[in-house]
Amino acid sequence: MRFELLQPGSLAQALEMKKDYREGAKILAGGTDLLVLLKDGKLRAQAVMSLGRLSELNFIRSEGERGVAIGALVSHSDVAASRIIQQRCPDLAEACAQVGAAQIQNLGTLGGNLCNASPAADAAPPLLLMDALLTLASARGERRVAIHDFFLGPRRTVLEPDEILKEIFVPQPAGRRGATYLKLGRRKAMEIAIVGVGVAIHLNGSDRIVSECRIAMSSVAPTPLRARRGEAVFTNQEIRDGLIEEAAEVAAEEASPISDVRATRGYRLDMIRVLCRRAAREALARARNHKAEGWR
Amino acid sequence: MKIPVTLKVNGETYDLIIAPYRTLLDVLREEIHLTGSKKGCDAGDCGACTVLLDGKPVNACLVLAATAQDREILTIEGLARNGKLHPLQEAFVREGAVQCGFCTPGILMSLKALLDTNPAPTLEEIKIAMAGNLCRCTGYSKMFKAVESLDRSP
Ligand SMILES: Cc1cc2nc3c(=O)[nH]c(=O)nc-3n(C[C@H](O)[C@H](O)[C@H](O)COP(=O)(O)OP(=O)(O)OC[C@H]3O[C@@H](n4cnc5c(N)ncnc54)[C@H](O)[C@@H]3O)c2cc1C
Ligand code: FES
Ligand code: FES
Repeated sequence: MRFELLQPGSLAQALEMKKDYREGAKILAGGTDLLVLLKDGKLRAQAVMSLGRLSELNFIRSEGERGVAIGALVSHSDVAASRIIQQRCPDLAEACAQVGAAQIQNLGTLGGNLCNASPAADAAPPLLLMDALLTLASARGERRVAIHDFFLGPRRTVLEPDEILKEIFVPQPAGRRGATYLKLGRRKAMEIAIVGVGVAIHLNGSDRIVSECRIAMSSVAPTPLRARRGEAVFTNQEIRDGLIEEAAEVAAEEASPISDVRATRGYRLDMIRVLCRRAAREALARARNHKAEGWR
Repeated sequence: MKIPVTLKVNGETYDLIIAPYRTLLDVLREEIHLTGSKKGCDAGDCGACTVLLDGKPVNACLVLAATAQDREILTIEGLARNGKLHPLQEAFVREGAVQCGFCTPGILMSLKALLDTNPAPTLEEIKIAMAGNLCRCTGYSKMFKAVESLDRSP
């Protein structure tokens, strides 16, 4: 592992450097993915650009009824400990609290988790549930990309060689909503998910009618993804026996898991169904408990 | 090309000239000669290299030394004060919570960070705080006992 180290002091400076170096400079946020790859020799870099001095990308900001903006450099531990996130996106706080263990959560960033584009990225399912928007910045300007369009495949995203992920915007869903993220590993911590499933349920008035359901999965396809057909099973339905089971069945059909060191394809498909059912029950319970409140 | 880096470790300032790709762990051990922080895996998995960066536990093997400039670094060597062991260290000695000792520095740093923010943790909280530290001798229960023995003493 040998490289030149760039340490820009501002985003503007970082974008200028990225314009010149392009792929030549790898971005370093927390380094918990990048440094492991560089040490293994799986990745080579002429230069590494640390974003560590860009305190301007380390913020969690409530934007009232519109939603919450999270800087790309916020660590998993700061996301998990944030009151704003706990209240508005408890499933995101849950996901970040399950990344590795304390040391990794203190170093690893939300932006790094997304840009690394692992199929197992724990922060991805909750953000997919919320239709998060990502602000990508370059010296040419900024663009906003829906998280649904961000991932292209394992370790591949739509980021251009001169772009930096600046901010993750989480729109505030209206009404009564409950959501949770469940992760299955072989042990409780320090584990990449065998399967991860997030479910969000929206209720309109009645405790029995689901106005909308969202299901997101990780470690079951080349990218984290939404299970749109599984979601449709719930939409505008009255809760009845067998509904949750049916949605879980359909969601599993949308996955294309592989067999690897962690689990076989068949086991993963079974576990998607199990996690989906558990997450849906928990999300429903949370939605029923949710009292619509005004956001400041 | 080497670059100048100033590190603040255990309250002391070190002016170093180092290669920019060296990790904080390697620089602590090989330049500053603080060898208490151990290298088990060099990949974030074992926690033997755990140090506190601005009070928070991190894997020193996943931090570039140059990016730790101007931040407060605390290693196991800084845990004892004025020749007196930290209560956690004393509890580990008392309870026999050390076997080969390779994981011990990292575990003590994780636990120190826990106690700084949560002086009376539950067993579950102790386990969560230690989840990123592996003990190959598997002597976890005596470590839990050591921390719990601290809670009860005033
Ligand atoms: C022991 C261990 C356990 C782990 N456990 C988990 C786990 O349970 N769940 C999980 O999801 N992950 C896990 N990870 C992976 C990793 O910790 C996370 O993905 C983390 O969020 C990465 O963030 P980072 O800031 O460290 O990224 P870095 O390593 O700094 O960067 C990751 C990638 O994203 C790019 N990048 C980073 N920030 C930006 C930006 N703002 N703009 C553009 N590109 C950027 C980098 O160039 C690099 O390619 C684990 C890693 C280790 C070492
Ligand atoms: S040596 Fe750093 S975590 Fe193992
Ligand atoms: S005491 Fe030997 S590794 Fe923990």
